[in-house]
Amino acid sequence: MQHKLEVLGMVCPFPLIEAKEKMETLSSGDELVIDFDCTQATESIPRWAAEAGHSITRYEQLDDASWTITVKKK
Amino acid sequence: MIFTGLLCGALLGFVMQRGRFCLTGGFRDMFLSKDYRMFYALLIAIAIQSIGVFALIQMGLLQFKAGTFSWLGTIVGSFVFGIGIVLAGGCATGTWYRAGEGLIGSWIALFAYMLMSAVMKSGVLVPINDAFKQYALPTNSIPATFGLSVWPFIILLAAITLYLAVRHLRKPKVPIPSLPRKRSGLSHLLFEKRWHPFATAVLVGLIALLAWPLSEATGRMSGLGITTPSANILQYIVTGNSEKYVNWGVFLVLGILLGSFFAAKASREFRFRAPDAKTAVSSFSGGILMGFGASLAGGCSIGNGLVMTAMMTWQGWVSLLFIILGTWTASYFVYVRPRVQAKKLQSASMTTA
Repeated sequence: MQHKLEVLGMVCPFPLIEAKEKMETLSSGDELVIDFDCTQATESIPRWAAEAGHSITRYEQLDDASWTITVKKK
Repeated sequence: MIFTGLLCGALLGFVMQRGRFCLTGGFRDMFLSKDYRMFYALLIAIAIQSIGVFALIQMGLLQFKAGTFSWLGTIVGSFVFGIGIVLAGGCATGTWYRAGEGLIGSWIALFAYMLMSAVMKSGVLVPINDAFKQYALPTNSIPATFGLSVWPFIILLAAITLYLAVRHLRKPKVPIPSLPRKRSGLSHLLFEKRWHPFATAVLVGLIALLAWPLSEATGRMSGLGITTPSANILQYIVTGNSEKYVNWGVFLVLGILLGSFFAAKASREFRFRAPDAKTAVSSFSGGILMGFGASLAGGCSIGNGLVMTAMMTWQGWVSLLFIILGTWTASYFVYVRPRVQAKKLQSASMTTA
């Protein structure tokens, strides 16, 4: 199942915190699509995902200062 | 000569934006995720600057007076500042460079920070600031307290830093996914590649070192500083007194904004981004606390945490400790406690159901 997390306009570290929180409610194999525009999260979200053992199925820049990342729960 | 401040600031803004050099995040993550990378990075920047500046002093090229140590102001101010930077979503410098990325929330924080610093330095709260400053110890220099040369302390700092950095780099790493590469050569390196925090720290240390001779050439006897210059901008705007308020430091902070804007624009990371109401209020309160705290403490995470530490003063190291403690306290109330309470509420509703 795919879930969506809108954290546009949120400043660091809230996108990451929201993502972590949301991830806890998901079941294994579920995907979380995170759209964010906080520059710091381009580093902190993939780092968290990798260190927590989740996989990243999509990671792209959509526009100026606007990114999307899809994290698949381990 | 004063315009060298603009250059120095632009370099700093560029490096911090591209290197994501965020001390607030660094201090917070020590508490939230036991991640010490950014703290080690700060130590690297301090050590480089320390070696460089004291070498220049030794050669008679620079002058530095540690002055007195306003311990009460430093302790209380730094703690409040630490709380403020969490609410503002970035420390003083972080707020400047994020303003350059187009974050309106950082503009709000920045304005509140400038306003409160000016209020503390030349406004109605001067008496409070002065009252705290009365509690001072005559010696601010750590080596002078022990009657020693500064070099053993610098060697000790450099050795500890080297040990921690090497130990960290030797740890096994998880590969971190990155964005697909679209550029090559210098453009990739400058505007796309993820910079290692330690590499960024080396650059920050060198820029902090460069700031000393450039600033002293204009008669301003110190290194990087953010709070007083930020207040100076507002003081100049409302008084029109350029002689008193426009100096190298003012150009430095304006340079940070420009450098960061350039870095963000060139790497497609600039866009005006408006905060929601809650974030806006938090940014404003954070800015107010930052301005109050940094004025009381005689410096922010850069002035005290990066520069006064490198100068081996009590003010620098005590301030750094209390900024970190303030950050941890705020992190508990902003990030940890709400989640613990939400969980309690959840389990309570489950048992009643």
